[in-house]
Amino acid sequence: MILPKFEFHEPTSVAEACDLLARHRGKARPLAGGTDLLVNMKKKVMSPGHLVWLGRIPELSRLERSNGTLWVGAGVTVSDIAASEAVAKAVSALGQGARALGTPLIRNLATIGGNIGSARPAADLPLSLMVYGAELVLAGTSGERRMPIAEFFKGPGLTTAREDELITAIAVEVPRGYSGAGYLNLGIRKSQDCNIVNVASFLELDEKAERIRTARIALGSVGPTPLRSLKAEKLLVGAKPDERLFEQAAQAATHDCTPILDFRGSAEYRRAMVDVLTRRTLAMAMAEARSRT
Amino acid sequence: MSDHRVINSRLPRLDAPVKATGRAVFIDDMSFPNMLHAAMLQSPLPHARILKIDTSRAERLPGVKAVITSKDAGLVRYGVSPARYDETVFCHDRVRYVGDEIAAVAAVDKETAEEAVGLIKVDFEELPAVLTIEEAMAEGAPQLHAEYPRNLSAEVHQEFGNVAEALKTCDLTKTTTFKNKRQDGAFLEPPGCIAVFDLDGRLTLHSSTQSPHYVQRTLAMVLGLPVGKVRVVKPYVGGGFGIKAAVNTGELTACLLARKTGKPVKFIYSREQVFMLCRARHQFVHRMTTGVKKDGTLLALQHECYLDGGAYSSFGIATVYYAGSLLGGPYKLPNMKYDGWRVYTNKPTCGAQRGHGGVAARAAWEQQLDTIAEELGIDPIELRLKNMMQAGDVTCNDLNMSSLGMKECIEAVRNASGWASKKGKLPRGKGIGMACGFFVSGAGYPIYRSDTYHCTATVKLAEDGGAVQVYSASAEIGQGSDTAFGMIAAEALGVPLDCVRVISGDTDFGVDLGAYSSRQTLMTGHAVKEAAEEVKRQVLEALADELKVPAADMDIKEGRIVFKNGLVDYSGIRSRYIKEHRGWSDSPQEDALTFREASRIAYLAKGTIVGTGKYKPPALGGTFKGAAVGTSPAYGCSAQVAEVEVDLETGKIVIEKMTDAHDCGRAINRTSVEGQMEGSLAMGMGEALFEEVKFDDRGRVINCDLAEYKLVTALDMPPVETIIVESDEPNGPFGAKEVGEGAIMPTIPAILNAVYDATGLRIHELPLTSERVHAALKARGIKQ
Ligand SMILES: Cc1cc2nc3c(=O)[nH]c(=O)nc-3n(C[C@H](O)[C@H](O)[C@H](O)COP(=O)(O)OP(=O)(O)OC[C@H]3O[C@@H](n4cnc5c(N)ncnc54)[C@H](O)[C@@H]3O)c2cc1C
Repeated sequence: MILPKFEFHEPTSVAEACDLLARHRGKARPLAGGTDLLVNMKKKVMSPGHLVWLGRIPELSRLERSNGTLWVGAGVTVSDIAASEAVAKAVSALGQGARALGTPLIRNLATIGGNIGSARPAADLPLSLMVYGAELVLAGTSGERRMPIAEFFKGPGLTTAREDELITAIAVEVPRGYSGAGYLNLGIRKSQDCNIVNVASFLELDEKAERIRTARIALGSVGPTPLRSLKAEKLLVGAKPDERLFEQAAQAATHDCTPILDFRGSAEYRRAMVDVLTRRTLAMAMAEARSRT
Repeated sequence: MSDHRVINSRLPRLDAPVKATGRAVFIDDMSFPNMLHAAMLQSPLPHARILKIDTSRAERLPGVKAVITSKDAGLVRYGVSPARYDETVFCHDRVRYVGDEIAAVAAVDKETAEEAVGLIKVDFEELPAVLTIEEAMAEGAPQLHAEYPRNLSAEVHQEFGNVAEALKTCDLTKTTTFKNKRQDGAFLEPPGCIAVFDLDGRLTLHSSTQSPHYVQRTLAMVLGLPVGKVRVVKPYVGGGFGIKAAVNTGELTACLLARKTGKPVKFIYSREQVFMLCRARHQFVHRMTTGVKKDGTLLALQHECYLDGGAYSSFGIATVYYAGSLLGGPYKLPNMKYDGWRVYTNKPTCGAQRGHGGVAARAAWEQQLDTIAEELGIDPIELRLKNMMQAGDVTCNDLNMSSLGMKECIEAVRNASGWASKKGKLPRGKGIGMACGFFVSGAGYPIYRSDTYHCTATVKLAEDGGAVQVYSASAEIGQGSDTAFGMIAAEALGVPLDCVRVISGDTDFGVDLGAYSSRQTLMTGHAVKEAAEEVKRQVLEALADELKVPAADMDIKEGRIVFKNGLVDYSGIRSRYIKEHRGWSDSPQEDALTFREASRIAYLAKGTIVGTGKYKPPALGGTFKGAAVGTSPAYGCSAQVAEVEVDLETGKIVIEKMTDAHDCGRAINRTSVEGQMEGSLAMGMGEALFEEVKFDDRGRVINCDLAEYKLVTALDMPPVETIIVESDEPNGPFGAKEVGEGAIMPTIPAILNAVYDATGLRIHELPLTSERVHAALKARGIKQ
């Protein structure tokens, strides 16, 4: 497989990158680690004439916590996220997703911006970001805007970003005490896999740790975009957490997804696994919430 | 401990330094001045008539040097077994699978060649395709080859003893149907080659192959060249597993293009093309009825098997025979009936892959034996031990177990795994299982009927003394055969391994059928040993003349001459040697006559010292039709215990531990033996749990890359305890026999039996993906 021909650009600032994207509107793609984009180009799934490499823009690789918000630059690599103590402490499920992604070689190149930008329904990082209520910071030629990550995805490989826009950072409000999350992914083998189903759950308890105040569940690989299970969340909010409740919520989640059959797995199996993984991630979230009182 | 000085040790491999530093040269690293690059046009349809091929636009593309079709290649039919030569280089009238080759281009670079391929226009008339065994065998089904009616590529009907009568006397019979899935060889290095014609019309093909010899013969036949003008040279090869054991279209194409353009031509398969080339493990459907006595004595096996062969035959005739014959052992089985059908379908061609023909059959049967053991209330290990053959036994289909460490293997894995404390005592979701298996140490006969030696070897001493060169046409493909032959030569000659250089993989160095059927250690090993012994004899004879000591009173050990009857004055030889090397700083200082000095003296007396060796097995096997397939001078055997954990909610299986014992006769290099045991096990594990080549309804491979075709990764590999059993094979060099393929045999059934122990489920279809296991659990209503 040979890469199709393209022009290679190396901007050193976000503004310059957006200018290049605007100038070659419709024919340009941002290039981060290339672990998704270059594969697709080799397979001739897409062949943009211009690649705008983001690797020389220093501000994209910041990873820091300030004023209760964790800022993850779009260019931060998955291996840095996997190893980050700030991530482990504030948003552990994001770290779990990062550790589950690909192989060490892939993780060293792959970026969080690319993982979101690829808009794969099976991707390992968006689900936990969704349940943490993360927002994307997008920059374009006409300025900056923020949007909840869920609004970014339109379909497999499709996003609501404008053609001159980049994700520059992901902002996650660090969850308060009495809250926790869990992420699980099920593939065929132990690593380097495309997920059959992946699920992230987030729970926040009231101050007495008796009832669930907030619940968010995100399901991957079972629809054209990552999905929230509002039915399951509704069941959970205000209720007393126990095994029985989590079973009901997991059951409810199976009604909030639209899995399809493909060669990786049947719709029926995917639905059944939404049940299992939702229940298990809720238990993980609960365990973490209890430990973070 | 053995009294061997070199073999049976853990010496580092000869190729370790170049491979560890990335300096080993593989075909893709090679290039020649003015080299062109080739690309192939392959059929996009599973079955179609070719109405017209228009190459004019491709020919006009700047940078294109040649475009060839069947008009240039001719229609010489070739294949693997002369009984079924059913391929031509390019299709001329019909394409039979997605990937069937139609034309090829040579151009200044790969991009141009591929672009040109896109400019070739072919008019097809699409024909109905058959994509499954059932479709292919149905009444009125579309036919792939007019010469082979009913889409039958081969069929086998054999009976040993009287199965119908025997079944009547059984206390218990069990019938099961079992199915594996089409595999891909998935070697790290896709095949590739560079063809170079010199100005005298001699062809040299550098190719990533397992068998320079078979490739040489086929090239000569198809290109109409005398064999003497065709040389095949193998650089380092990144695995083959059987798929590279026969010529491929890429090799033939590169040669044709090189001949037409007068320039070197390179062709490297892409990973997608590897899936279309295939030649890997068939899909088998086995139906077996086994009958036993109450006490567990095996009486009869009635066995039917269907193979989904793909569009051509390749090794398939041997495959359909092996699928039956390899159940003849290692248990005493007096009655066996086998009916096998290999069916053509409009898919890529299957062939030989590690454990050729026997892997799915073994998996099916060993699981069935466990079922029988359970119904009879006998421990599965006891059932196996009860029926086990012993060294010297001959199977009902005339396979001679000249050595058989099967019992030792079973006992070794039973003890090392802690079987007694685990079997039947593990919590739900955890299980333990075991199985056995055996395999040939080299096919008893070449793939073409011939009295040829299966291998020859030459050992030459450097004229200056001390260095030993081993020449053979054998194929080092990553398995470590060069190291094994270096060690065998060193042992036979009595020198340390670092005196020895192995130069192999070149048809100029003799005949060697190559690296398949686990043949090289035993067969090439014999030839190398014989050649080295011949050299030793010549050196000792020269010394005898020089020192006036009978040759029989001398020996060579660890690079020194041993005088059996006390000290001999060799100072004359030493001063002569030193005089010939005036100014050199490495004069021999040892207080013994060295091999270096002795071999120099031998050269001075006789000229270049060369010894040759050769090997072919004696006539083996019975006289019935197909008796040759399964014969071998020796059989390796193994037993494995698998310990698994099954997630009862998701169906996901995790192999927690494998205990693996293999009888390799005598380990030439212990580390290499363990490497083969672990590698076989990894491959078997992949077939058991994950691997399956999948097709869409248009006959296209869906998962034609290593992201979606799921091999086991390092993280999936369990801890493997390897135990080497040595039975000292009488027909092997230094007692050695195979380990390369036999070691895969027990893996799948051991896992199947462990999954049963964990879940109570007998699953009769591979792979055991979490989805399949989940479905089975659900069907049984099993929850937690
Ligand atoms: C062998 C292998 C295994 C893999 N395993 C996994 C896995 O287990 N889980 C998983 O989720 N993924 C996996 N992937 C996919 C891929 O590695 C990840 O999605 C990765 O995070 C992509 O990041 P990247 O930096 O390489 O993106 P790139 O390939 O550079 O870009 C991906 C897409 O995002 C766009 N993009 C990049 N940066 C931005 C930005 N800042 N703003 C807007 N758009 C942007 C690009 O234009 C492109 O469309 C695997 C890939 C391979 C090759």
